[in-house]
Amino acid sequence: MSERFIKLLLLSIGSGFMVFFCLFPFLYMLLISLGENPTAVWKGTGFLTLDNYREVLQRESLHFIDYLRNSMVVSSVSALFSVLISSLSAYAVTRLSFPGRLFLLFFVLAVSLFPPISIVGYLFKLMSLLGLINTYSSLILPYISLNLPLSLWILTSYFSQIPLELDRAALVDGASRWRILFRIILPVALPGVFSAFLLSFIFSFNEFILALTLTTDYRARTVPVGIALFQGLHGETPWGTIMAASVITILPIVLLTVLFQKYIIGGLTRGAVKG
Amino acid sequence: MLKGTLGRYSSDELRDAFTFLLPLILFISIFILLPVMGTFLISTYREVTFLEKEFVFLENYLKLLSDGAFWQSLRFTLLFVLVSVPLEMVLGLAFALIINERIPFRGLLRTVLLIPWAVPLAVSARVWELIYNYNYGLANLLLLKMGITDEPVNWLGTELGAFIALVISDVWKTTPFVAIIFLAGLQAIPGEIYAQAQIDGANLFQRFFRITLPLLKPVAVVALLFRSVDALRVFDLVYVLTHGGPGGSTTSLSLYAYKHFLAGDFGYGSAVSVILFLIAFLLSILYVRASGFLSEVAR
Repeated sequence: MSERFIKLLLLSIGSGFMVFFCLFPFLYMLLISLGENPTAVWKGTGFLTLDNYREVLQRESLHFIDYLRNSMVVSSVSALFSVLISSLSAYAVTRLSFPGRLFLLFFVLAVSLFPPISIVGYLFKLMSLLGLINTYSSLILPYISLNLPLSLWILTSYFSQIPLELDRAALVDGASRWRILFRIILPVALPGVFSAFLLSFIFSFNEFILALTLTTDYRARTVPVGIALFQGLHGETPWGTIMAASVITILPIVLLTVLFQKYIIGGLTRGAVKG
Repeated sequence: MLKGTLGRYSSDELRDAFTFLLPLILFISIFILLPVMGTFLISTYREVTFLEKEFVFLENYLKLLSDGAFWQSLRFTLLFVLVSVPLEMVLGLAFALIINERIPFRGLLRTVLLIPWAVPLAVSARVWELIYNYNYGLANLLLLKMGITDEPVNWLGTELGAFIALVISDVWKTTPFVAIIFLAGLQAIPGEIYAQAQIDGANLFQRFFRITLPLLKPVAVVALLFRSVDALRVFDLVYVLTHGGPGGSTTSLSLYAYKHFLAGDFGYGSAVSVILFLIAFLLSILYVRASGFLSEVAR
């Protein structure tokens, strides 16, 4: 057997396995969501019905639409602010001289590794004190903070590749630093800004333990918590409904991944490896 | 990365730097650092909802020493890291090698690989919960159909079954991330090295073991440490899939602390959180040093 053949064989088997490994839970999710009960798909009766979707979207007592809206608002607002705030910092880190620049970068890297359980107990007390329990703010404020480290690392990596001559020319022309950041740096680093936004959005959308602790009902509860706590009225788990809700929930995330795969991979590798 | 800036410190530059950094410093201080310090402080109190708050210094920690359930959750958490992270590393490397090749549909394959990582774990954990269902889950259906077992496996109702179920689901969720990190490492290896090795007669496997693996070592260290810290704080998966059961055998440290918070025992829950924090922090220091070393090399 030639080497090329072995390689081709390994690649085909490997990629076949990879696709199956990654996608079979989603296929299963879809099949179950289309059945009256979890065995309908194998029996062939009561299969290919949209009842579960109708249930999820129409029964108001499930509050699924509320959860989805909460998730969208909380994730977009958190992502927007974390990108805005971290771009200010990334500008300072790459453009201005101040003592402790490297320390700051590595310090926030360490902060991003703190286990969320070590902040959640106190956050609960803090948010209770501020009267913010079960509001969007109780999630948005910590989410912004938790997204800042990765966002800062991604933007620092992008900003540092922009030639300083651009700044110098603008400074000579009398532009302020704010103007330089918003009119020159950010537009040039737009791909980086976008990937920082995407990753912040995905992290906020997926966050679980804070959302579980700091919200109490449909007014602020996000969709992962909603789905995790989904229980039937009579003890039997309504699998069809849960899977239909899951399919709808992952649709926007899958869509983002399909459309912007390059930005996500770029952000992850810059944030985690290259620095 | 931080080669030059626009000059030396000047007072107006320092003032601007401070202004630009202020929002980040405020947010991280108020919503992360303050809560961590608060957790340390609360852990020295006996603080239970509706009871008088009392400073007890290290009493909660002394109680931990003789708390069997705490040791069980510590053992489970460490075992979970030790088993799932190596599996993710091996599989992640294999996937990275695939998506690094010039093959048809490479972009599509990369997208497919990202999806398990990108969807909320709490949501996919429910699918896994159904897959492991004793009566009609996919896992038992396949095992019985293929004749691998005669009886359904009690995945979530036995200690070993629940542990294996958690590891499989975690490997599924996090392998993509490891693969992406390895992909970045692979892309940094210059192609000429392989071309030269091929001319010298090194075969596919020799090239992998003699060139690829050694050159990936720094990236592997970063991925290993990051994943270890991340796996230590496992919560969502156990919360949804096993609720820490059966019999508390899969209660991670995070879940154990959470259960105390839920019961209103903030002092004890905080002490458990502090232990987890310290373990994670020690590993993080190694991680930060390793990635610092890496960006040093990349420069």
